[in-house]
Amino acid sequence: MSGLVLFYRLILRPLFRQPGRALLILFAIALGDAAVVAIALAGNAAAGSFHSSIETLAGKNDFEVTAAGGVPQDLVARLSKLPYPLQVSPRIEDRAMVADTRQSVPLIGIDMIGAANTANLPVLGASEVSDAIRHINDPDAIWVTRGLAQAIGDRLPLLIEDHTRTYTVRGILPDSTQVSGDAVVMDIGAAQIATGKQGRVDRILIRTPAEGGFAAWESRLREVLPAGVMLNAQGAETAANRRMLAAFRWNLRILSYIALIVGAFLIYSALSVSVVRRRPEIGTIRALGTSRNAVLLAFLAEAAAFGMLGSLLALPLGRALATGAVRMLSTTVNALYVSSRPGPLSLTAGSVVLALVVGVAVSCLSALAPAREASLVPPTEAMARGRRDYEVRVERKRDALAALGLALCGAVAAQAPEIGGKPILGYLSALLFVASAALLTPLVVHFAMEAGSGSLRRLAGMEGLLASRSLGGSLRRTSVLVAALATAVAMMTSVGIMVGSFRETVLTWMQTELPADLYLRPASWAGGDQHPTISPQIADRIARVPGVAAVRRMRAYDIQYQGLPATLAAVQANPPTVPENLRFLSTAQDADPMRQLPSGNFAVVSEPFANKHHVKTGMSLALPLGVQKVTFRVLGVFYDYGDEAGLILVDWNILQRYLPNPAPSNLAVYLAPGANLAETRVAIQKAIGNNNVLAFSNREIRRQGMRVFDQTFAITWALEAISILVAVGGIAGSLVSIIIDRRREFGVLRFLGATGAQIRRLILFEAGLIGLLASAVGLGLGVVLSLVLVFVINKQSFGWTIQFHWPVAVLAWSMGIVYVATILAGLYPARLAVRMNPIEVIHEE
Amino acid sequence: MRNRPPGTRRSLSAWIFACLLLAAAVASAQEYQQALPGYQFQFPRDDFNHENYQTEWWYYTGNLRAPDGHRFGFELTFFRQGVSRAPGSDPWYVHDVWMAHLALSDIGAGRFHHQERLNRAGPGLAGVDAATGTIWNGNWQATITPRQEDLRGIGRNFAFSLKLLPAKPPVIQGQNGVSQKAAGLGHASHYYSRTRLLTSGSIEVAGRSYQVEGTSWMDHEFFTGSMAPNESGWDWLSVQFDDGAELMLYRMRRKDGSIDPYSSGSYVDAQGRSRFLSARDFVMTPAGDTWTSPATKAAYPLRWHVSVPLLHLAFEVTTPLRAQEMTGRFGPSYWEGAIDIAGTHDGSPTHGVGYLEMTGYAEPGRAVVPR
Repeated sequence: MSGLVLFYRLILRPLFRQPGRALLILFAIALGDAAVVAIALAGNAAAGSFHSSIETLAGKNDFEVTAAGGVPQDLVARLSKLPYPLQVSPRIEDRAMVADTRQSVPLIGIDMIGAANTANLPVLGASEVSDAIRHINDPDAIWVTRGLAQAIGDRLPLLIEDHTRTYTVRGILPDSTQVSGDAVVMDIGAAQIATGKQGRVDRILIRTPAEGGFAAWESRLREVLPAGVMLNAQGAETAANRRMLAAFRWNLRILSYIALIVGAFLIYSALSVSVVRRRPEIGTIRALGTSRNAVLLAFLAEAAAFGMLGSLLALPLGRALATGAVRMLSTTVNALYVSSRPGPLSLTAGSVVLALVVGVAVSCLSALAPAREASLVPPTEAMARGRRDYEVRVERKRDALAALGLALCGAVAAQAPEIGGKPILGYLSALLFVASAALLTPLVVHFAMEAGSGSLRRLAGMEGLLASRSLGGSLRRTSVLVAALATAVAMMTSVGIMVGSFRETVLTWMQTELPADLYLRPASWAGGDQHPTISPQIADRIARVPGVAAVRRMRAYDIQYQGLPATLAAVQANPPTVPENLRFLSTAQDADPMRQLPSGNFAVVSEPFANKHHVKTGMSLALPLGVQKVTFRVLGVFYDYGDEAGLILVDWNILQRYLPNPAPSNLAVYLAPGANLAETRVAIQKAIGNNNVLAFSNREIRRQGMRVFDQTFAITWALEAISILVAVGGIAGSLVSIIIDRRREFGVLRFLGATGAQIRRLILFEAGLIGLLASAVGLGLGVVLSLVLVFVINKQSFGWTIQFHWPVAVLAWSMGIVYVATILAGLYPARLAVRMNPIEVIHEE
Repeated sequence: MRNRPPGTRRSLSAWIFACLLLAAAVASAQEYQQALPGYQFQFPRDDFNHENYQTEWWYYTGNLRAPDGHRFGFELTFFRQGVSRAPGSDPWYVHDVWMAHLALSDIGAGRFHHQERLNRAGPGLAGVDAATGTIWNGNWQATITPRQEDLRGIGRNFAFSLKLLPAKPPVIQGQNGVSQKAAGLGHASHYYSRTRLLTSGSIEVAGRSYQVEGTSWMDHEFFTGSMAPNESGWDWLSVQFDDGAELMLYRMRRKDGSIDPYSSGSYVDAQGRSRFLSARDFVMTPAGDTWTSPATKAAYPLRWHVSVPLLHLAFEVTTPLRAQEMTGRFGPSYWEGAIDIAGTHDGSPTHGVGYLEMTGYAEPGRAVVPR
C-alpha cells in the first residue's frame, strides 16, 4: 500500500469524520506555542531591542569615558589635545519631561560647534551647525524630534530635574535611525545649565582611527585618564543594561514554556485517545501488510502536520497576545531596570522558526508514545469485533520508584549553584519534580478511586460509583488529563505562593524601610535608573517649615560596578530619635552599621548587590567616584527589594568629599511630634512653590510600591491564565473524545434505565473528580515548586530573600476557579452524551 | 600701504566671516574695536590674541624638502571670529568661534591632503594662551616664543611637527600701523608678517616619516570689518627668493573684471628692510594654463607672470602640484599651494619658492557661521 493511501486511510479519513479531535489538538498546540511566541516577541520589543535612549545622536564611536557623578569637563580638552587623530565628543545625557503630556524623553547635550567636525554624525549637516551657532548662547534653544514639535519656533515647556522652563524649538531633527523615540537636543552649555551639571559632562565619546587596534588605543587613552574615570567600549552602559535584562528575559521565557508543557500533555492525551479509536483501522492496514514502522511514521507525520499547522496558527495568536504582554513587560522594565520605550513588535523570521520548531518538536515528542503504541497493535486483535478499549497496565511499582528517583534528582538539582547567573539547575529541578508528579498521577488516581469509590457511592449514589470506577478503569487516559491539569494547577499554585510570599515580604519591608512621614522626589522622575535632583535650597526651605522635625537627604548615582549597573546612594544619618530602619542580614559583630557609616569610608550594600558581586561584610569595595577610585569597607548587607541592580549606601558627608554636589535626589521628612500631616504637607508644598517636586506620604508611597509590584507580576499571572486555559480547554476536548469512545457504555446504561439527567450527572461527576484530583496533585506539586522558586530560582536570578508565606485567599480562589472550570468543561460532553440515541449506538456494535 | 583692504589677504576672512557679521555679530560689531592708524605693534604682546577685534588669524605656509629630495608644502591656519562680547564665565559660552585649516602638499607623491576644524574655546578646546605662547585648535597648535615657533598638525592621514626659527624681524604691513581697506577710519587691519622662518622637523604621511628642512612664512592679522561688496576675490602670493629677499603681492578682483586700486604688496631685502609696493608698482597677470577642479569645477590659473619694474624684477610663477584646492565644509573653497619662481632680478637670474592663494573662483560654499 502506498504511503499516501496509508496516510489517507489512517489519518485523513478519521480526521474528517471527527474534526473536533483535530481542533482540540490544534488548540493545545496553538495556544501553548502562542504563549512562547508572545513572550519571545514581547520580550524583544520591551527589553531585547533595548537600545539605551542616551545613544540618541551618538553616532558610531569606539570608546566612551564616564565617571560616577560626571566626567570633569577639562578632560574633554585634555583628550582633544592628545597627539592622535581622535574625534572627541562630550555629551550631557539626562531626561526631560514634556510638561503638558508628562512624556519623559531623553535630553542630550552635544557640543554643537565641535559636532561639525564629526564625520560620523550625518544628522548634523553644515546647515544645522550654522543654525546652531546662531542660537549657540541661547540657553532656551532646543532641537527636537518631529514627535515633539510641529514647527521651528514652537515653545515647549520642559520639566528638567525640579524646574519647569519654556524652551524654543530651533530645529527639527531629521528622522533618523539613531533616535529611537523622541528626544530633545541642546547645546552642551545650555544642557549643563538646564541639568545643573556645570563643570561636568556625562559621557565623552571617542572615535579612534581604524588602524592601531582596540587594545593599543585603550592603553594610550587610559594613560591620560585619572583612576576613577572609566574607559569602555562605546555602549558599555547599554551592554550592561542588556546583560541585566537578559536574566529577566530568560526567566520570562522559561515561564512561557510552562504553557507549552501543559500543551504537550494535552497533545499526548488527545493523540492517545485517537490512536485507541483507530484500532480497527490500524488492524486492517496491518493485516494488509503495512509494516509497524510505516504505522509509526504515519502517526508521527500526523503529529508533525498538527505541529506545523498549530504553529502557524500560533503566530498570529502569539502576536495578538504579545501586544498585551509588551505593555506589561515595559512597565516592569521601566520600574525595575532602566527607562526605555518598547520597540515595535515584529514577527521576524526568527520568531516564525521558533514557533515552528517548538510546535513541531513538542507535538512529535508528545506523539511518540501513542504512535509507538499504535504500531504495536496486533492486527487480529484490533480487527476483532466487540473489542474492549485497549488498556496498558500501569506498572505501579516501577512508576513509583521512577517518580521517587526523579524527585530525588530534583531535590539534588535544587541545591546546585547558578550557572552563568542563570538558575538553570533550579529550573531543571522544577522540571524533574513535574515529571515525578506526572509519573505519580496514575497511582494517585488509582488509589484515590479505589479508596474513594465506596464513599462516593454513599455520597452521590450510583453516578458517583460509576464515575469513580470509570476513571480508575481508564487510568492511562484519565491520569494524563489529571497530570496536565495538575501541572497547570501546580504552576499556578507555586507562582501564586512565590508572588504572594514576595508581596508579603515587600510589604513588611516597606513598613520598616519607610519610617519618615513624607517622601519627596522631583516630578520629572520616570524610571528606576533615573535620579533627577532637587535644588538644595528647596531642602533647606522645607527644613524650616513649622512642624518639620528633620529632613533627611539622599542622593543617588547610577554607577558601574564590575561591568554591571548599580545604584550608589549617599544618605544623611537618621535623626537620633528615629530608630534605624534598615534590616540587616549580616553585619560586622556587635556594630550598628548605620551609626558607624558617617565615621569614615564605610558602606552598606543591599542583598542583591552582595549576591551579584559576591560581596560580604568586612570586604572592601573600590568605587569609582568622579576622577578617583575610592575604597569603602562593607559594614553590612541589608534586605532590599526596591532595586534589582543592587544598592550601595554611604554617608552623605563622606560622599560630598568625593562628589561635591549638594543637590539631593530624594528627601525624607520627619514631622515633629504632634504635627498634623495634612497641614504640614500643604505648608511644605507651599514652601516648594510649584508642583515640580512631589511629596508622598508614607502610606501613599507604600501603595505606589505595591502597585508597581503588582504590575510587575501581571505578566506572570497572564501566563498562568494561559496555562490554565490550555488545560481546561484540553479537558473539555478530551472529555468529548472519551464520551464518543464510550457511547456503547452510555447506550447500555440508557437501556438499563438510566435517565438523561443521570448520564449528565455521571459525566459532570467525572469532570469534577478530574478537577479535584488535579487540584490535589497540583497543590502538592505546587508547594514543592514554590519552594524551588522562592529559595532557588528567585534567589539565584535576583538575589532576594523572600519570607515564605501562604497566600490562602489567592490559592482558594484559584483552586475554586479551576474546579468550576473543569465542571463547566464537562457540560458540553454531557449534553452530547445525553443526546445520543441509545438504539443507534448499540446497533453500531 | 594705505590701500590694502583687510580681509583680502585670506579668503576666509571676507567670505566666511563676513557672513557672520551680517547675522549674529552685526549688532555686536559695535562692541568691537576698529583698526585705527597710529597702532604701535609690541612683541611678544601682538603675537597673541586681540579679542577686542572681531576677526583674527595666524597663517603659516611653507616649502620643505627631505634629504632624498622629496618635496612638501604645508599650511596651518588658526582663525578666530568674535561672536559675543557679553560677559560670561561659563566655559561653554561662545565668545568666539575658532576655525583652523591644515593642509599638506605631498609634492613628491603628487598628493594634496587637507582638513578643517571648528571649535569653541570651551573648557580648553581651542584658543590662545599668551602665558605659554600657545595658539591651538584641538591638537593643532603653534607655540610662539621670541626665538622659535613650533607647529604641530595632526590630520586623519598625515601629521607634521616643525620648528621655525625667524631669520628676520617681523614686517609690519601697511603704513602707520594699519593696512587701510578703503576711505574712512576703521576700514583697515593691523597686519604683520614673519617672512622668512627657517624650518626643520618631521612629516608623516602615507606610512612614512620624513625629516624635512625649508622656509616658512607667517601672517598675523586682526581687525573689525568686512570686504567691499563689489569685490569678487583675489590673487595673493608670497615669495622667498634664493638671494634672501621676500616679496608679497596681491590683487583684488572686482566683479566687473577690473583690478581694484587697493591691490598692493611689499618687498623685503636680504637685510630685512621692507618696502611698500602700491598697485601702480607691479603687474601680476595669469599666463594661460588653467586647472579645473574636479570637486568645485572652478578654473584656476596656475601660471602667472609678475613684474615689479621699480625693483627690476620679473619672474614666472609655476606650481609643482596642480591639485592644491582647499575644499571646505564650513567655508568657500580656494586654491592655496606651493609655487616655484624663476626670473631675473637686476638682469641676473633669480629663483625662489612661495605660496599662491586664489579665491573667488569657486562658488562660495555654504558657510557654517550664520549669514
